[in-house]
Amino acid sequence: MSATLAAPAPLRAASWSRRWSRPLKGLAGVLLLLAAWQVSVPLVGMSSYFYPSPADVIASFTELTRKGILPVYLADSLLRYLTGLTVGALLGVGVGVLIGLNRTASLALSPLFRFLFAVVEVAWIPIFVVWFGYGIKTIILALIYVVFFPVLYNTLLGVRTAPQILVNAVRSLGANRWQVLRLVILPSALPGIITGLRVGAGFAFRGLVFAEIIAAKTGIGYLIFEGTQSQQTARTIVGMIVMGLLWLAIDQFYLRPIERATIERWGLTVDAEQRT
Amino acid sequence: MSATDRPEREYRSAQREGKPRPIARRHDALMLGTVPFLAALAVWWLLPKIVDYPAYMLPSIGMVAGYAKESVLDGSLLRNVLASLARLFIGFVIGMALAIPVGLAIALNRHVADMFRPVLSFLQAIAGIAWVPLTIIWFGIGNGSVIFVIANTIFFASLYNTVIGVQSIPVSLHRAVRSHGGRGWSLLTNLILPGALVQILLGIRTSMAYGWRALVASEMIAGSDGLGYMTMEAAQWQRTEVIILGMIVIGLIWVVMDRTIFTAIERRTVGRWGLLQR
Repeated sequence: MSATLAAPAPLRAASWSRRWSRPLKGLAGVLLLLAAWQVSVPLVGMSSYFYPSPADVIASFTELTRKGILPVYLADSLLRYLTGLTVGALLGVGVGVLIGLNRTASLALSPLFRFLFAVVEVAWIPIFVVWFGYGIKTIILALIYVVFFPVLYNTLLGVRTAPQILVNAVRSLGANRWQVLRLVILPSALPGIITGLRVGAGFAFRGLVFAEIIAAKTGIGYLIFEGTQSQQTARTIVGMIVMGLLWLAIDQFYLRPIERATIERWGLTVDAEQRT
Repeated sequence: MSATDRPEREYRSAQREGKPRPIARRHDALMLGTVPFLAALAVWWLLPKIVDYPAYMLPSIGMVAGYAKESVLDGSLLRNVLASLARLFIGFVIGMALAIPVGLAIALNRHVADMFRPVLSFLQAIAGIAWVPLTIIWFGIGNGSVIFVIANTIFFASLYNTVIGVQSIPVSLHRAVRSHGGRGWSLLTNLILPGALVQILLGIRTSMAYGWRALVASEMIAGSDGLGYMTMEAAQWQRTEVIILGMIVIGLIWVVMDRTIFTAIERRTVGRWGLLQR
């Protein structure tokens, strides 16, 4: 975004500093935040149960890592998240294409889907708990739910607004139904699908943490909750930091590549950052 | 951003040209849209007659309606709804009131903005429900915790949007205002605030969607009343009719808020500034 500001500047610095100045500034911001935290500890003057210092958190981090708790929790959370995201997205696209091909069905069902998405995944967790108990089923289902509906809704919209002129063109060149789907409908629905995935991925990540607080015995959300329950608040902070870093990593190495490989290639995206 | 502008527009116009049949009339679509709801109700009604399952798993429509009537008459439903909405509103106001000035202050200097952006996206990622365990320690169970979590969610989302909004103001506009002698306060009121406002307003829908989830979730863990508390409490006693009613109310409230407030904001900002790119 700030490229709009930086690009026309006549006084460009050398390429080295242009490449490194932003990451370095970002690092400075992180250090500043850590420094502010450290300074605030004596000012707050509370026990580490109420307000742990960076040193407490680092100690807790090394302990959790050495005991092998943190890597296992991280792997569990990541596995649950990616499973929910992938299954939800595939179901959303599949069902969306099937329904979307019929215009009437698509128009008729959209309001219901909209309403079901408005019944947020968080609100489903109590009934999932009654149905499936505390455990992985509840967590994964909540994640699938929150990804499924935005992907489904946007797929429907994308399929419905596929340019008829292109459908006609491809058909008159002798394409069969499958080819029309693959050559016209799916590509034109793709920006919507990716938007839906973005929306769902963001909600699902918070949903994961909440579901783990309620219904898990492992995972980052559990770590965050258990830390304060067992009066080890530093563990809670470790969990929160790992959670933030995990999201940045998922964004950078999973969602952005998907966007780059699909919609940015066709120049159909506006700016993904706006939707995080 | 400007690079992706053109194909986007071409894509849109291609869509418009390509639209084959006239869209179904508004009220036809409305009628059509109610059919699946009725079908879902019919399935719900028929299900216990076909499949055998314990009654607590899925209460009948009659049970949910009965509880709805009971809770409306004794005022408990309204009380819970109002408690949730009041907390959402207070959290929203606090979050926005802090986020916009802080965001503007950060974004006014490009170096400062570059410095804080990674930290902000990190803090935004953990904003919301992950703070609940901490807030329980700090504020105890109840209003303080829940409001903190919502304000925190709204704050970081809006802060990020404010910074992005200011940074996305085209540099040519900046120069135009500057070359007409605008600086300081007049630069702020004539360019930066209105320029960032669209992004801020459009961001409200997303940040409220996160805030709404955070509200329900934090009420479930740290609440003493409200819709989230009502449904989670009912889960302990397996009173599924209370859960289902809570879910329906949660869905309805969001649909109404979305339709009235957020859609209106979007329409006005698009109409007035014409800056929306999507």
